[in-house]
Amino acid sequence: MIDPAAPPAISLIGVRKSYGRHVAVKGLTLEIPPGELFAFLGPNGAGKTTTIKMIVGLLQPEAGHVAVCGHRIGANGLAAKAALAYVPDQPFLYEKLTGREFLYFVAEMYGLHRAERERMIDSLIRRLDITEFLDQLTESYSHGMKQKVVLAAALLHRPAVLVIDEPMVGLDPRTVRSVKDLFTEHTRAGGTVFMSTHTLDIAEALADRIGIIHQGELIAVGTLDELRRKARREHSLEEIFLELTETGDG
Amino acid sequence: MADTAGVVASAPRLGLLLRVRARTVYNRVGQAISDAPIRLAAAVFLVSLIWLGLYGLFRLVFMQLSRTPLEATVAIPMIFNFFFVAMLALLAFSNAIIAYGALFGRSEASYLLTLPLSPLDVVSLKYLESLVLASWSVVLLGLPLMFAMAETTDQPIFYVLFLAFFLAFIPIPASLGMLLAWGVARFFPRRLTKAATITAAIMLVFTIASALRALRIGDTAAEVWLRSFLNRMGFVQSALLPNNWAAAGIDHAVHGKFSEAARYLGVTLANAFFLSWLAVTIVSKYFDTAYDRATSGRSGGKRAAAEASGGAAGWVFCYLDAPLRLVAAKDLRTFLRDPAQWSQLTILFGLLMLYLTNMPTLRLEFSASGWFLIIPFLNLCAVSLILATFTCRFVFPLVSLEGQKLWLIGVLPMRRGRLLLAKFAFSMTVTLLVAVGSMSLAAYMLHLDVIWTTIHLVVTFGICFGLCGFSVGIGARLPVFGQTNVARIANGLGGTLNLLASVALVALVLAGVGVATWRCRNLSPNTLPDARSLLLCAASIATSIAAGLWALRMGARHFDRVQV
Repeated sequence: MIDPAAPPAISLIGVRKSYGRHVAVKGLTLEIPPGELFAFLGPNGAGKTTTIKMIVGLLQPEAGHVAVCGHRIGANGLAAKAALAYVPDQPFLYEKLTGREFLYFVAEMYGLHRAERERMIDSLIRRLDITEFLDQLTESYSHGMKQKVVLAAALLHRPAVLVIDEPMVGLDPRTVRSVKDLFTEHTRAGGTVFMSTHTLDIAEALADRIGIIHQGELIAVGTLDELRRKARREHSLEEIFLELTETGDG
Repeated sequence: MADTAGVVASAPRLGLLLRVRARTVYNRVGQAISDAPIRLAAAVFLVSLIWLGLYGLFRLVFMQLSRTPLEATVAIPMIFNFFFVAMLALLAFSNAIIAYGALFGRSEASYLLTLPLSPLDVVSLKYLESLVLASWSVVLLGLPLMFAMAETTDQPIFYVLFLAFFLAFIPIPASLGMLLAWGVARFFPRRLTKAATITAAIMLVFTIASALRALRIGDTAAEVWLRSFLNRMGFVQSALLPNNWAAAGIDHAVHGKFSEAARYLGVTLANAFFLSWLAVTIVSKYFDTAYDRATSGRSGGKRAAAEASGGAAGWVFCYLDAPLRLVAAKDLRTFLRDPAQWSQLTILFGLLMLYLTNMPTLRLEFSASGWFLIIPFLNLCAVSLILATFTCRFVFPLVSLEGQKLWLIGVLPMRRGRLLLAKFAFSMTVTLLVAVGSMSLAAYMLHLDVIWTTIHLVVTFGICFGLCGFSVGIGARLPVFGQTNVARIANGLGGTLNLLASVALVALVLAGVGVATWRCRNLSPNTLPDARSLLLCAASIATSIAAGLWALRMGARHFDRVQV
């Protein structure tokens, strides 16, 4: 299913970004192959969201470059954006559209044919349990409802790369389970999930590899076992995270 | 995984974006009709009222001018020139604000940037949006002007040409506004507050300079002053300015010179298309960079400013007890840190100051007649209406904005309703400062006597009290908790009711003072008005204060009971 000659799903090479005198991301280099679920961890203000915004093309790196599926963001931004979907921590929906109208809009944006669109929407509304409120204006949705619709919209065109910031906030346990299953299926089908989260249990359970960013630098990256070896601890991801980020302070 | 990259990367999506926008408008209108018909009716009523008022004003001006055809020949093109130059400045400024918010401020722009859309599609959409919003000026200002003016001509094609000139003119300020917004984002990222401060400072300097110039020619005859004024404003008639093309074209249309009018229309249209193309091309080409710079900044340190504003608040609100003083100080800081709030107040009152400081040129004309009281009364009307606008837009949402923090206020060791006192004190302080300042300046410039200066200042206080009481009280009675957007809170049912109540209150108070002014119009300065006139003024002020107190009490009672 995954072409071994395919370019990395996400590639960041020597990426740097600063806000005034504050350097948010310092020369970050990271490659994520297709079919991987990558969890991106870090304390508040470590540079996670800045990195994500550079991957999806919202911010431009001052140095280095970012590519998605071999398409450089900036130079070939449209092709890169066509290959990815982004779910921010504060999901955006047009308030005066219904959830269904929003899904139709996204489907048309990505050039889905009618039959494909209906099939995908039917499947996703069933999996995410959004039938009940899908025909109401989105302004009446709770955070969890919005998150579900935005997730459905992101998965609609089966993106090669799904970038998601705090995916489980506001979701009920049943939906959390559905989302976990959707992510797993997505990566099995050759898609890549780049997930930023503070929920270490989910990262521990789902991620193929984990990256920890601290004060703008990637201080650790690897599988859970590799991180354990690096931290010289045989414990949970929480303890490894605390150990590594504490070391980074010093 | 689906390979959609090739499919979507090359396809323009402007049509899809416009269809979605049309759908949101359709849903919005449908919702307004089904959920809030009273609000919709009130909005239509108020717009019609403004429309009729403007029509009456324009008609009066044209009828006066038509009595003296010679003067009309000179004055009508001049009026149009000033009208279009004012439109040019106001629309460019409002389009800049709209475009900045739409391109660099709203979450929709972030969302669209993550989609496979070319910046050209996004910028074109936002440009068309700002054009449509700006076109409201045609409905609100252009149509009354057109109908009033149509009575002076018997050419039916005038209507078509007038609308054509308006529509051809609007893209020019819209393009300039979009370029201005892009320039601020690109070259002054995250310095909007600073830019707004500089703009306010420039306006202040300009106002003072105008005042000095006006004072210099204050003793000359009106005819000399008019000639001097026209000389100073001669630059607006430059052949290179778009206001001149539109004004000259309409003037030709009125006089049946259609080939000349068509030539000016062609010039206006060509420039509108060129500027639109230029603005959309430049902004879309460098949109990514501008967006990056506009959103890459960090808020500067506020510690020193916080200490200063805290100290100032402690002094200004010394009459409040400690917890209320802290809430008022918090509101003052929020006000000072939100350029949208203080810049609008500065602009509104800045323009008023500009007008007021040019008043001395009128005093010789009006002091001898009954006008010496009428002009100050009209100033009072202007100040009151601006105050009503400000309180409805910014004071009304104050209580609703506390909705997210009601859990905190709910556990404070004080009655929740007392919080309204802090909101009231804060809004009274801000509005009184600017309103009393403006009215004092107006009185000084017109050499108004002490008696009427005192009456106007007390009336201003009464109106401030009533308007702030209404906005805080109705804001607490009909809050919109959970909403953080000030505009949406102000546009809700409570906001609309507050607007209607505020306009009614201002009308009532001004009617009382207006009758008193009319009764005393022939009195010589420094003569005490008769008892009935004084009673009318006192009753108006008392009504305003009583209404404000009633609204505050009603709001406090409800706020005490509201479930957190």
